Amino acid sequence: MTEVSSGTGDGRWIDPSMGMLIGEAADQKVPEGRTERGHSEGAAPLPTWDREPEARRSDDITYYDLPVLKEPVWMWVVPAYFYVGGLAGAAAVLGAVAQGSSSSRRLVNRCRWTATGAIVAGTGLLIYDLGRKERFLNMLRVFRRTSPMSVGSWVLAASGGANSSAAVLAGTDGLLRSLGDLSGAGAGLLGMPLAGYTAVLLSNSAVPAWKEARKTLPFLFVSSAINAAASLLDLMELDDDEARVVKRFGTAGRAAELLSGVMVEREIAGIERTARAYKEGVAGSLWRGGESLAVTSLILGVLPGHSRLKRFATGVTGSAAAAAAKFAVFHAGKASARDPKATFESQRSRAAH
Amino acid sequence: MGTGFFTDTTVCIGCKACEVACKEWNQLPDDGMSFTAMSYDNTGDLSASTWRHVAFIERPVALSEQQTGLGNFSWLLMSDVCKHCKSAGCLENCPTGAIVRTEFDSVYVQPDICNGCGYCVVGCPFGVIDRREDDGRAWKCTLCYDRQKDGMEPACAKACPTDSIQFGDLDELRDKARRRVEQLHAGGVEEAYLYGVDEADQPGTDGLNAFFLLVDKPEVYNLPPEPVAPRKYAAPAWASVAAAGVAMALAAVAAVAGSGRQ
Repeated sequence: MTEVSSGTGDGRWIDPSMGMLIGEAADQKVPEGRTERGHSEGAAPLPTWDREPEARRSDDITYYDLPVLKEPVWMWVVPAYFYVGGLAGAAAVLGAVAQGSSSSRRLVNRCRWTATGAIVAGTGLLIYDLGRKERFLNMLRVFRRTSPMSVGSWVLAASGGANSSAAVLAGTDGLLRSLGDLSGAGAGLLGMPLAGYTAVLLSNSAVPAWKEARKTLPFLFVSSAINAAASLLDLMELDDDEARVVKRFGTAGRAAELLSGVMVEREIAGIERTARAYKEGVAGSLWRGGESLAVTSLILGVLPGHSRLKRFATGVTGSAAAAAAKFAVFHAGKASARDPKATFESQRSRAAH
Repeated sequence: MGTGFFTDTTVCIGCKACEVACKEWNQLPDDGMSFTAMSYDNTGDLSASTWRHVAFIERPVALSEQQTGLGNFSWLLMSDVCKHCKSAGCLENCPTGAIVRTEFDSVYVQPDICNGCGYCVVGCPFGVIDRREDDGRAWKCTLCYDRQKDGMEPACAKACPTDSIQFGDLDELRDKARRRVEQLHAGGVEEAYLYGVDEADQPGTDGLNAFFLLVDKPEVYNLPPEPVAPRKYAAPAWASVAAAGVAMALAAVAAVAGSGRQ
């Protein structure tokens, strides 16, 4: 090849004196100096074979074991968002319910500030994962009801508004307090979809481990959200009455998280390679670890007494369990997307029903 | 209505002229020059910077009526591309409205809108669209939107020396494809069939605007056997969210009940 790389040097081979970069993908960015780093030659973009694997059976067809699907490009911040976003939703629901009873206003305020903080942190995490962070506001450019991410972006934005105004108005009296309670009630209503939409976001995909668990995944995500919110509140200073409320809410969440974990396992049980994605590797370890932590937290939580140490231990193990559940589901999805046989099997098994 | 591709894999010779023409016209960067050591396919798959990909399948199976000097053996070659589905998972998942349907009925990603959220990547049942890490945005075949605007056929179809890739009006292409299947059946290649030719053939996507003539199971070509646009199975998931949300509210009511009375 003649030296025309005075142009782009990224495989486009455009000599600027001869042609212009105006093609549809001409502004697709490639790191500078890639050729010098040797990326352009020899670095395999795909898993390659050193030797031919053993002959594959005729009922075991794949295309050189290459994946059918693209592995999700999301990084750890996305399941981290699932955790804090769920936490915000559940905290908003508890706050809204508590403001309607005679219970302590301090707990209501805690819930509002917790939800607000979690939404701010969650929004930051989501923006951090974007390929073009400066365009994060494009998320509110349209409303697309077929896209759970679009629906979720609007729910998150509205929840942010409702929770923060409720939190700011928390210490006021009279009309402002009523306005705050109205915002708090709105935040509570939005909290229900906020805690669960991320499960639909995952299952609304071609990824076997997510789409095959679509009926039960929302229960796991919402119960993990309850656990997350209650466990975080357990780490705060509470009086006996508040601690009792948080204990009941958390116990319900932890029990439901364990139960819905079993429900997820049952939903995918008939689809071997999809089920395997939840059992092996990183996802399997997180899944089993999360279960053990949830059991520990559940037992600690129901032990008598409201001592600071007991609540602290409950909160730490509960938070870890809630986060582990979401990271496990995330990694199971990634693993199943890499496995072409999981893709084929899940589609063929559905066709057979 | 609309234009698309009919890819007749029985006449593909694996020359990769489509891959090259696509790269050249769209001015796509390279993907790194490497050998997969699996076959003559050193491209591997469709990606953000590869919008046509020729699959090389070496089968220990002979085609019907085929005589070989090597025992049972046949080559299958297929130029893969974005299917421009009637129900497109990427488009339906896109939260920003960056992915749109054009006047040619193709699915197009607007690079000036895309914020690289990556949701289209998981929405595509064919594993076509991908986010380029160093660029940050999602890219895929545009069905040569720019060329079509000027009344030209896409670069890959233009470059294909055997007319394995045919471009044109979708109704005409479907008729042509069905006649080709009949012709092959009459010639003894009874395994020939169309993949994704219309809604009846592939209800999950409501049919593909870029469909294929294949002679073996879709899996052999790394195509999904029963692709479905994700939104078609979203309703039960939303119903579960509603049920779980109400259950959470009830749990909160139960937790708060009786507090604050001492």
